[in-house]
Amino acid sequence: MNWLTRMLFNRTDLSSLNTGLRDALAHWHSLAQPELGKPHFETRYVVLNTETSGFNADRDALLNVAGIAIESGVLVPASSYAAELMPDAATTLMNLLTFCGRGPAVLFNAALNRSMLERGLEKHLGVALDLPTIDLYWLLPALFPEHNNRPVKLSYWVDLFGVETFKRQHALGDAFAIAQLMLIAKSRAIQKGLASAQNLIDLEQTHRQWVRP
Amino acid sequence: MPSTAPEQLTATIREFLQRFQPFNRMEAEAITFLAAHLKLAHYPRGSEILTPEMGPPRCCHIVARGQIQSRQAGATAVTEHAMVPLGPGEAFPIGAIAAQRPSTNTYIAVEDSFIYQLAADDFLKLMLMSPVFHLFCTQYIADLLVQSRQQLQTTFSQRAAEQQTMITPLGELLKREPVFVSPNTRTRAALETMANLRIGCMVIADQERRPLGILTLSDILPRVVIPGFDLERPISALMTPNPRALPATASAYDATLEMAAHKFRHLLVVDHQERLLGVISERDLFSLQRISLRQVRATIEGASGVDTLQRASMDIRHLALNLVAQGIAAEQLTRFISSLNDALTRRIMELEIDRHELHDLEYAWLAFGSEGRHEQTLSTDQDNGLIYVCPEGTDKNTLKARLLKFAKDVNDSLAACGFPLCTGNIMASNPELCLTYDEWQRRFEDWIREPDPQALLNASIFFDFRVLAGNEQFGDTLRVWLNRAASKNSSFLMMMAGNALQVSPPLGRIRDFVVEDDGSIDLKKSGARLFVDVARILALRTEVSSSSTVQRLRQAGLRLGMPPEELSAIVDGFNFIQLLRLRSQHLNTEHGAPGDNKINPDKLNEIDRRILKEALRQARKLQLRLKLDYQL
Repeated sequence: MNWLTRMLFNRTDLSSLNTGLRDALAHWHSLAQPELGKPHFETRYVVLNTETSGFNADRDALLNVAGIAIESGVLVPASSYAAELMPDAATTLMNLLTFCGRGPAVLFNAALNRSMLERGLEKHLGVALDLPTIDLYWLLPALFPEHNNRPVKLSYWVDLFGVETFKRQHALGDAFAIAQLMLIAKSRAIQKGLASAQNLIDLEQTHRQWVRP
Repeated sequence: MPSTAPEQLTATIREFLQRFQPFNRMEAEAITFLAAHLKLAHYPRGSEILTPEMGPPRCCHIVARGQIQSRQAGATAVTEHAMVPLGPGEAFPIGAIAAQRPSTNTYIAVEDSFIYQLAADDFLKLMLMSPVFHLFCTQYIADLLVQSRQQLQTTFSQRAAEQQTMITPLGELLKREPVFVSPNTRTRAALETMANLRIGCMVIADQERRPLGILTLSDILPRVVIPGFDLERPISALMTPNPRALPATASAYDATLEMAAHKFRHLLVVDHQERLLGVISERDLFSLQRISLRQVRATIEGASGVDTLQRASMDIRHLALNLVAQGIAAEQLTRFISSLNDALTRRIMELEIDRHELHDLEYAWLAFGSEGRHEQTLSTDQDNGLIYVCPEGTDKNTLKARLLKFAKDVNDSLAACGFPLCTGNIMASNPELCLTYDEWQRRFEDWIREPDPQALLNASIFFDFRVLAGNEQFGDTLRVWLNRAASKNSSFLMMMAGNALQVSPPLGRIRDFVVEDDGSIDLKKSGARLFVDVARILALRTEVSSSSTVQRLRQAGLRLGMPPEELSAIVDGFNFIQLLRLRSQHLNTEHGAPGDNKINPDKLNEIDRRILKEALRQARKLQLRLKLDYQL
């Protein structure tokens, strides 16, 4: 628990939360941070996705959240979560947090997704999201520069790899596609000798710095 | 109320699965279970998904997208898909996972592929839950057998193509210009040429290139070195004159026969004007083709002595082992072995009859036991006897003494050709087994009338008789009489049945197989014999004249009104056990070695194991029938 979390935690009025949620939250806070140096096979990745009313994090509202786990290197449909924020945003977000544990999280276009999630979590649960995050928006160009070395829309990668999902522009539907892209990314990463979540995070950072200037 | 995330994802997977067999026919509950338990994996192009070395597969794979190639691991392994690539909706490895054995194939992603995985436990649960899926898996395994049979046929046609090479004209097989010298050449010069060119024989020819003689390396020791032959003398004094020659149009097969018949290692090839074209060596023909059925047969029929037959019997063995390795079906294989062995025995008889001057003898040489049933495997002892006729005015004792000597020589020759003498002395040289027709009939009659344990044991060996050489009429008459006598005597048949039921199939209630202390199953004692014993009783009862177990089952079964498909299943079961026996002997070629008929079921691949289990179940079915028939 870092100082920011503690500060936010202290500042938010949690008295409105019921006992169940408070216990769940306390439990989440007590979870150990993930070991990012472990091999992919031993890492539980949680693919997260959101659905919002628009693309402006300040103005628009978070409507839906979804998550799918990748455990022991394979996508586990049975280990997934999706819900609307209305009418009980606190419960929905707490369930999502419980599902996530301590990550690492995998997102596409993390900037938007994250800020929407962070805002919701802060508002409803007084939690600052501090999950280690892998952003496929940046990681895919880093791993597949032969296709495209700049960050592009999700649909580009979905089309390129022929990834199939039951519904696009849908929190869970897109999460399913992103999770499959993560599997593809992981296969390529292993071929390149990038064996752990930390390796992926580092590669993504390097690529960001290389692309930005 | 919107459904939960797992429900939505499961629905997607279910929709995908329902585009394919057999999932589209599966029960709703089963398909939901399947979809809910699948996980999705990604395999980049070129990666191994499953190999035999991975042990029993932990999960069943269903291709979601991409393409998988399966490759057989061993040359003789049962084929699974052969080289057909697997695409979306196809599952593997069904056989291995159902039997919880390592896969026989290696599966490799030939494209980047997404693959659904179902844990092995869930696979087995699904089989229990879904009759459709269960049927699919069973049929799938049956299909594998069909596929492997098709592969065998391919192998056969390849062999047929190989046989073609034996009809190649000799002219096309000559590799180099003939080396020859004139008859006046000094021996030293001729030998130096042989040494320089590293050739095994030298041809001596006239000015027209017509061959006059031949000198081979093997002549040098006895003709040159030992007698101290003067090397300055002309080679014509040393050569073998009038060498054997064949026209260039003769086939490789002709040359093989000629060499086998005269024990030559070299043959000359000449043109239509008898001029030398070249030399063919035994090795040239050998490299052309190893051994073929026709060749062996021809060698046997042209053999002039036991030593040629000895070589032929080695050839039979090698040929049989090759065919085992190629996976030919047991019924054909045992038939094939016995037909060659029959030819060999007949040739030995002919040679011995010549030697013993028994041309006028009216006789029938009988084979008993497995040889009598056409079920010889690669290590079968001799079991034989003789029926003879004592002509009027001949002293029976004198004739019998002559016959016993003759039979002894036949037995010894057979032993020299790889059929060990029978330790129980069931051989024609035994005075008890060299009998006239009436004596044989009386003997059989005694056993049927008083079926004590020894008589029942005898019946199980001698009632499987078959005429191998001589007058078949004796055998036919004896068979007709025996069938009539036995079928009428139901208490004898009941005793036989009781005897046959003493050994039950080694199937366990908990474990698959009941094994002996060393973990093995004796495929003769507690496998093949179960079928053989019942078949004999059914044949006697329904007066079937064949001595072969398969024929007995088919013909007697038909007469008893057993459904044809049930009969085929029983016959298949028997044949499979015979095949396993031959295969285990293939690995253990030491004659009569104790391990000959033993097999460790744990060492079989999963398909063989399943079939063995099924085969033994068929034996149980057959025994059950006998039990009911005789209320035992």
